[in-house]
Amino acid sequence: MGHFSDPPLLVLASLASGPKHGHAMIEDIAGICGTRLGPGTLYGAIGRLEQQGWIEPLPPEERRQPYQITGEGLRVLRAKLTTLQQFTKAGLGRLEAL
Amino acid sequence: MNRAAAHLLTRLYPRAWRERYGAEFEALLEDRPGGFLTAVRTGVNVLWSALHEHIFPTRGGKMNQPAHSFGAVMKQPSAFLPVAMSLTALAMVLGDIALNGVVHQADEGTVAHLWQLLMGLQLPVLVFFAIKWLPRAPRQSLYVLALQAGAALASMAPVFFLNL
Repeated sequence: MGHFSDPPLLVLASLASGPKHGHAMIEDIAGICGTRLGPGTLYGAIGRLEQQGWIEPLPPEERRQPYQITGEGLRVLRAKLTTLQQFTKAGLGRLEAL
Repeated sequence: MNRAAAHLLTRLYPRAWRERYGAEFEALLEDRPGGFLTAVRTGVNVLWSALHEHIFPTRGGKMNQPAHSFGAVMKQPSAFLPVAMSLTALAMVLGDIALNGVVHQADEGTVAHLWQLLMGLQLPVLVFFAIKWLPRAPRQSLYVLALQAGAALASMAPVFFLNL
């Protein structure tokens, strides 16, 4: 099995620690879970997250565009991570029962 | 990555997308480290994402598409897999040419075998798509078939024109 890869979730998790631009997000995500997103994949996720209103752009820094997570994005991230946590707990519980 | 290559890759995206993300995306591509493998990986990633953006646009596209729109039909694995296989085959041939130049060999190499495999295996998928989707959404399916044919021809072009 490869690395965990759900680009929108990874972007939300990265922005949970503060605003970042694209390159910083790629490095941060690689540090969190070892997945190095390609630039196309990253911007595919950014486009969809922005469309949903879960992230928003900040004023640009030269040619780089930082993004921050919105309140709704934080709520969605918390809900998704809670589901993942329950799933992980249940899966590990079943493994221990073997 | 140099500025010209970054600009060229960004041009693969639809205009509406470029107007919103083009400048920052180019800046990100220029920040990518150098190296042939990284450049190829980035190129394939951007090519695939740009194709996805053309089919399922985040900018300037209709959000609520009818069930049998071109986008909905294109979402079927049997629709996009042949296109992806052809583009992979094309990328392999171009990568091989970039690495080794145009070489005419009596024995076919690994790339040639993989190319044949990718082109051959997509045929049953393509037939399956035509049988399943032509009766349901004839017009949209014809567009998809045209796209599949275009991708296959693009993949065959260097092989035939360069006598590989």
